[in-house]
Amino acid sequence: MKKITLLEFAVVLMMLVSLSACKKVFDIQPEDQLDEANAYQNVYDADAAVIGIYGKFMGLAEQYVVLNELRADLLDVTANSNEALRQINTHTVTENNPYASPKPFYELILNCNDVLAHFKVMVQDKKMNEEQFNQRYSDIAALRSFLYLQLGIHFGDVPYVTSTLKNVDEVKNAANFKRIPFNALLDSLISNTETIPFKEIYPSGSGLNITVDGYQTQKFYINKKVLLGDLYLWKGNYQKAADYYRQVMEYGTTAFGFGEDFYSYYKLGWAGGHNHYVSYGRAGDASTLTYNDGWRVIFESAYGSNSLNREWVWVLPFDNKFKPENSLIKLFSPIGGQYLVRPSQEVYDLWDGETQRPAQGTSIPYDARKLLSTMNIGGQPVAMKYLYNYINWATGTAATPLIKNGKWFLFRQTHLHMRYAEAANRLGKHRIAWALVSGGFAAAYPAPTSDVTNYHNTLAEPYPFNFDARNSGNSGVPYYRADWYRQIGIRARALVTDWQISSDSLNTIEAGIIKEGALENAFEGTRWPDLLRVALRKNDPAFVADKVYNKLVKSGISAGAASAARAKLMARDWYLPFKW
Amino acid sequence: MNMKIRQTSLLLLAGLFSLQLLSSCSKIKDERNDVTDPALQQTLLDLVSANPQLSTFKEYLVKTGYDKIIRSSRNYTVFAPVNSALSSLDPAIVNDAAKLKSFVGNHIALQQYRTSEVAELTRIAMLNDKYNNMQGKKIEDANITVADKYAGNGLLQVIDKALPSLDNCWDFLSNNSNAPVKQKTFMLSLFRKVFDATNAVVVGINPNTGEPIYQAGTDSVFTNLFWNKVHDLRQEKKQFTLFMLADAAWDAEVTKYMPYYVTNTADSNTLVTSWNVVKDFAVDTVYQPNAIPDTVLSKFGTKLPVNKSAIVKTIKTSNGIVYIMSQMNVLPASKILEITVQGESYNASSVNRRSNTYFRDRYNTVTGKDFTDVLVFNHGVSNFWLRYDIPEVPSVKYKAYAVALNDFQTAAYTQRLGIGGIVTTLSMLVNPNVYSEVYIGEFTQSKYSPVFNLYLLGANSTTAAVNPLSCDYIKLVPSL
Repeated sequence: MKKITLLEFAVVLMMLVSLSACKKVFDIQPEDQLDEANAYQNVYDADAAVIGIYGKFMGLAEQYVVLNELRADLLDVTANSNEALRQINTHTVTENNPYASPKPFYELILNCNDVLAHFKVMVQDKKMNEEQFNQRYSDIAALRSFLYLQLGIHFGDVPYVTSTLKNVDEVKNAANFKRIPFNALLDSLISNTETIPFKEIYPSGSGLNITVDGYQTQKFYINKKVLLGDLYLWKGNYQKAADYYRQVMEYGTTAFGFGEDFYSYYKLGWAGGHNHYVSYGRAGDASTLTYNDGWRVIFESAYGSNSLNREWVWVLPFDNKFKPENSLIKLFSPIGGQYLVRPSQEVYDLWDGETQRPAQGTSIPYDARKLLSTMNIGGQPVAMKYLYNYINWATGTAATPLIKNGKWFLFRQTHLHMRYAEAANRLGKHRIAWALVSGGFAAAYPAPTSDVTNYHNTLAEPYPFNFDARNSGNSGVPYYRADWYRQIGIRARALVTDWQISSDSLNTIEAGIIKEGALENAFEGTRWPDLLRVALRKNDPAFVADKVYNKLVKSGISAGAASAARAKLMARDWYLPFKW
Repeated sequence: MNMKIRQTSLLLLAGLFSLQLLSSCSKIKDERNDVTDPALQQTLLDLVSANPQLSTFKEYLVKTGYDKIIRSSRNYTVFAPVNSALSSLDPAIVNDAAKLKSFVGNHIALQQYRTSEVAELTRIAMLNDKYNNMQGKKIEDANITVADKYAGNGLLQVIDKALPSLDNCWDFLSNNSNAPVKQKTFMLSLFRKVFDATNAVVVGINPNTGEPIYQAGTDSVFTNLFWNKVHDLRQEKKQFTLFMLADAAWDAEVTKYMPYYVTNTADSNTLVTSWNVVKDFAVDTVYQPNAIPDTVLSKFGTKLPVNKSAIVKTIKTSNGIVYIMSQMNVLPASKILEITVQGESYNASSVNRRSNTYFRDRYNTVTGKDFTDVLVFNHGVSNFWLRYDIPEVPSVKYKAYAVALNDFQTAAYTQRLGIGGIVTTLSMLVNPNVYSEVYIGEFTQSKYSPVFNLYLLGANSTTAAVNPLSCDYIKLVPSL
């Protein structure tokens, strides 16, 4: 080895000297970066902050789906899955599992806190008016509550931070930020979210309800009433939950005049061209299942279309034109992705356990949503819902493999109706729950004759349980069509047979709603919360443990691992370690 | 400006500095990358030459020109037999340049096969286009006595026995005098000219049909039916077991099966029968003499009874093994199998009634399984039929069974099976909600049918409740 020469020493010295000489250059304010102090000047800046928050929120899509589905019973790992996913699947999460880290949630929460604090300053400084402030502040505050609800669901005891912090790692300091139990967290979230000044959606004409890059942005934002309904449902305040859900269910009634939107928006009603029914070209001929229209299109329909608007309450787009990249294609797709998760055998068995409404004799012995939610690509079962904008349903190939467009599904009308039904059922309104989830109001309250004056409705019930689904028929005199006359139950829409309830309506219907959630909303990121909520409510850990056990046993994992997962969940050890 | 000059000079200096660093390191790099192992300076030929035990093999290498190949820069594995293993080599091989070349080529593989890495039985390609089975320190029958000696261009494995370059199964059959004449003659008679446009030369386009016109002689290949329909016994990469019957046994088998393949002429009767006898005789699994089971399942599901005492000769080939048998009594019940026709897989219908045809998915309460069937309902056609084309049906008596589900009406109805047409029929009463197999009747095929037409025939009525057709499957069980 050579010794350092004088020349080399001189060069290093010179480099150091030149660096220090540059210091003044660095002191100049950058021209392409905005300093925080200047970021909030007017309402457009506030809009940019809201969009920024949601943009970052989309980065949570993968973790959200993995936590909410892979921990439950409908998604399974594949041969490609890494150790982190396998841990989530078998409930053996160790530290440093990136999917089990609350850090990304807290980073976004701190961003929300920061934005909220700045909004308050802006309204004080008259940089936006009261109305603009109310809309934007409420949106971000609600989103923060949603994030906390997610944290509570998955981590149990979590610190509730609403102040601005610069460093996310401070949250870990249990001395400063006490971890509060899930149940107490719900109280805080309810009181905080109830006080937000604006609970509607952004009005059209607002800078946040417009069309950008070909996307109508109205469905980008959290629905605050749904969130409040959820919080009350978790808390066990079913009356308030039903009240808020009902307000959303009536959105079409208040927002539109008589017409297709009025009767079908969030009402699970039929509408010309956008039925979202499971149907067959010729009823009874199983080879004529309709793919290019109906139920499958729920997941493919375009932003701004009636199909999307009437079905979806909250859905965010992934597009190759803007960031972030579509993490869900990576997660689900064997084409252009890594195929890290697949539909479990359990969910196939659930679909196969259903029978369809009879046609040409008896029934087709499975739920056709199986064929519309999944696909076999190259011999591999693929959960397709997130991929229909990328992989062609007919060919099983991606026409433009590098354009990875798609959607992150968060909430749609079937979630809404089932959660409303869950609350109603708990309040003893079993038949209303049956009508919404199974056969529709007309079937639940059938008229013995053509005079339906006193039938097809629940108007004798107080709000929020008073539905009017009366329909005089074409020849009825007087001729009338009530607000809910087009409503059809979730199971009726999916062409599967109605529930037969013989005894113990409460528990039979509640279990039925949760099962229907699997059949209808599989992979959409709500399964684990559904199972956990009922397990907590009934104080019955087997409700979640047995289902996870069934999945693991059927997945071919060792019986020991499946039993271990069951034992862990039976011991109410439902939460992930709060570590990062 | 001043700043810029300073930056440039700084860059220059820094570049100089890194260059110097690089050059001062070069000596270390040289040493690290130097080839120091003297074995790697040698070629495989050097290794072979250095071993006096391999002098005969070396002599053959030179004689065949392979010495130049294993001196070249590609990677080889040379399996070199010691002198004692070559002393008994047939002079006919040594004195025939082509045979010797094939023999030596059978000892050289164009890849490195290290004994420790070939843990599973592996078929490795040799330079003479044949394959040898290697596993650990064993290749075919030879043991690797000195393993994995490496040179710059591959590995040398010293073996204690030579690896003879054998004929493959097809070569044996066509060239070897040990192959029984009658079966051989029949199999060699199966050469046909078959259309194959792969190498065809297009000389024009038919103005009427738009189809290409090929130059005579280029649009077909001369190929053997056995290769295409059973197994291509010329393939070296795969391994086969071929059974050949001694002439008397062959005659006995053919005679036995003549009544099952009755045709219009004696010649075609013999041809069809012989084909159906021989098509089961090759399987794509190699059964060694010490491990051959007493029953071998053929490609077509026929059980071949293998009586070890009837094995007259066992011939090892380069791609498997040939057994010459003095007897092989294949039972007709094992060769002539039942035929199952899926209702929904029909080939034709009397009238297009797709709009009244339902492919239904149903759950069978008897079997506990899902199934797909066909229902044609309210089609409004008298004597409506669906036709099923079944290939190669022997001349035997069949009993017909079917599952037909009537879950759409309470009244029973009658549908019929048309045997070879819609004149001769068997009736089937379809009662409601029967999921089990129902016996329909029996019929005798007096002649072998290359394609047998089976009809599912509706009632002579246009009434919807009377003339439906429904069928999960039809099963024809030979009565032998």
